Amino acid sequence: MINQQMYSYKTGIPQIDMATGGFEAGTNLLLLAPALSYAEQFAYTLTRPQAGEYAIMLSTNERASEVTDQFKNIGADKHFIGVIDAITKSSTPAVSDTERFMFVTNPTDLTGIGIKFSHMIETIFEGTFSGQESGLFPPPIRFCVNSVSTLLMYRKLEVLYQFLHVMTAKLKKVEGFGIYVLNSEAFDERTISLLKQLMTIVIEIKVERTDNYFRVMGIPGVNADWHKFTITNGQVILGL
Amino acid sequence: MISTGMYGIDDMLGGGIPDGSRVIYSLDPGVDGQLFMISTLYEALEQKKSCLVIIPHTTVEAFLHDVEQLRGHRIRPEEHAIAFLDSVDRERIQRQAGKNGATMTAWQDRIKKVCAEKKIEVLFGYFDILYEDLGLEKCLSLLTPACYPSKSTVIVEHLNLDGDAFLDLPEIRRAFDLILAIKSSFRPLPHFNYFTILYTSWSTQLRRSVPFLVKKGHIVPYIPKIVVTGPPHSGKSRFVLNATALGVSVDRFGSEGPDITTAMDFGWLHWQDFDITLYGTPGQPRFDAMLPGVLKNAMGAVLLVDATDRDQLSRAKQIYKTVAKMHLPVVVAANKKDLTGVMGEDEIRKCIGIGKDVPVFLISALQKNDVRDVLESLVASITRFIY
Repeated sequence: MINQQMYSYKTGIPQIDMATGGFEAGTNLLLLAPALSYAEQFAYTLTRPQAGEYAIMLSTNERASEVTDQFKNIGADKHFIGVIDAITKSSTPAVSDTERFMFVTNPTDLTGIGIKFSHMIETIFEGTFSGQESGLFPPPIRFCVNSVSTLLMYRKLEVLYQFLHVMTAKLKKVEGFGIYVLNSEAFDERTISLLKQLMTIVIEIKVERTDNYFRVMGIPGVNADWHKFTITNGQVILGL
Repeated sequence: MISTGMYGIDDMLGGGIPDGSRVIYSLDPGVDGQLFMISTLYEALEQKKSCLVIIPHTTVEAFLHDVEQLRGHRIRPEEHAIAFLDSVDRERIQRQAGKNGATMTAWQDRIKKVCAEKKIEVLFGYFDILYEDLGLEKCLSLLTPACYPSKSTVIVEHLNLDGDAFLDLPEIRRAFDLILAIKSSFRPLPHFNYFTILYTSWSTQLRRSVPFLVKKGHIVPYIPKIVVTGPPHSGKSRFVLNATALGVSVDRFGSEGPDITTAMDFGWLHWQDFDITLYGTPGQPRFDAMLPGVLKNAMGAVLLVDATDRDQLSRAKQIYKTVAKMHLPVVVAANKKDLTGVMGEDEIRKCIGIGKDVPVFLISALQKNDVRDVLESLVASITRFIY
């Protein structure tokens, strides 16, 4: 008998996974956080591929090699990680694409970003991405945009909204899990609420004195209380 | 006339792009369509045309490297009459101009200057960033002869985030002589890319949609499935084998006579710059259950009938009913015209119940030219058909 149940993506945060059973395939999550608040580490934790999964990171802040190192540091297998690097090509124009590392000149190039994203998804679907395919179909794919804040510095909000509308819809079609990092302090309420419209779930992070807190919004039956946390080796640890 | 660099598309356009035309290649986000404009650029350079390339999203060096990756060989600016305005120029213009109106004037001045100095004949540009910077009206004004010599051809690529509504805008319809939309879909196949010629000012042809593949740096129009079906012994296997460069048939010798197809015929051909795959079905009624499945996702069908066998036409009619339900372009090939007792076209139409909109060809499947005539008609129907 064929199991028609949709795949669910574990977050690696036991409290969320126990409450939700993992996020449903097709979920798009906005990670809303101020600067210096562990937001990036939180995003890496959410994006880290579990066994049989793939991760694609659109990086506007770090080079592909740095992204891979970050994933390796939290125990992810680099063979299942793809990076669309919007940094390196501006200083090294002759850098060439590979199956797992693709480059666009800068975050302005939404055409290039969209095409590289499609290429990676296609390669994963064709089963030639890692050379160690698990055989799950559709292949579970986590996709992280780190960060939407930088994209907004290069393109107008309306344009980026339309672009992300297409990307989030594609993620739903391929039954992936999207994570979008946005600096909550750098943009006005209108920008944030417009981008929230594209999302299924919002994880908000705040910093009080030296402590970090997160809360999850958008999951029916799960309250939006703030949880104190720290991150060690890619593990989100809840404090008292 | 400038070739698009994609010969199947040139044919659809009546030979290529007439000089002085304005063309928009509209890309949906994520669709692998950058080679459309790049192919046309290579072709213009090949024809020794002097070209200006406006790339506000990237630098010249990064662009040349991207193009080399896509196409397989590098454009060497020193060997061609080619000039660029790139992201560095955009930044300079924005810094100097400040306000929107001044930005447009600055772009106009830069384009005019380069066009005059380099005697530009073809202008290539990436539209969406200028559109975002200037707005539609001002951006379109950069494409008017106020900026460049009136006989120049303009080709732009646009990342279309607004969908079909953008391409239906009266300003867009007025501004361009050719509107070609490049899209992708998850149906009928995952990662299915196709283009649609929405409008040409130089012909009155209907809009056409054709799938395409990217192969070795070229756009190849692609027909992933044509089904060849019909009653037993109508000549389907012979048709597929004679149509294709590579063809196989799964036959068996049995009580129904020699060499009856019991699984599928399969063939592949590259023809008129299209990659085409043919699937032949068995004709016995016991295989009818599989016919809708085979027809699913097909782009066209050939119904083979034996033109000398009246008794077979009721079976052909049954099969035609199944095919007609799929709303596909269909061509009827009445085979065995070289034998005696061949029925006329009208009788065949009447017995099968087909109207004048379905072409009927009297053929001999032994004659490759006859087979190709049928395919030519079907391919023409497919490229005109709105899926």
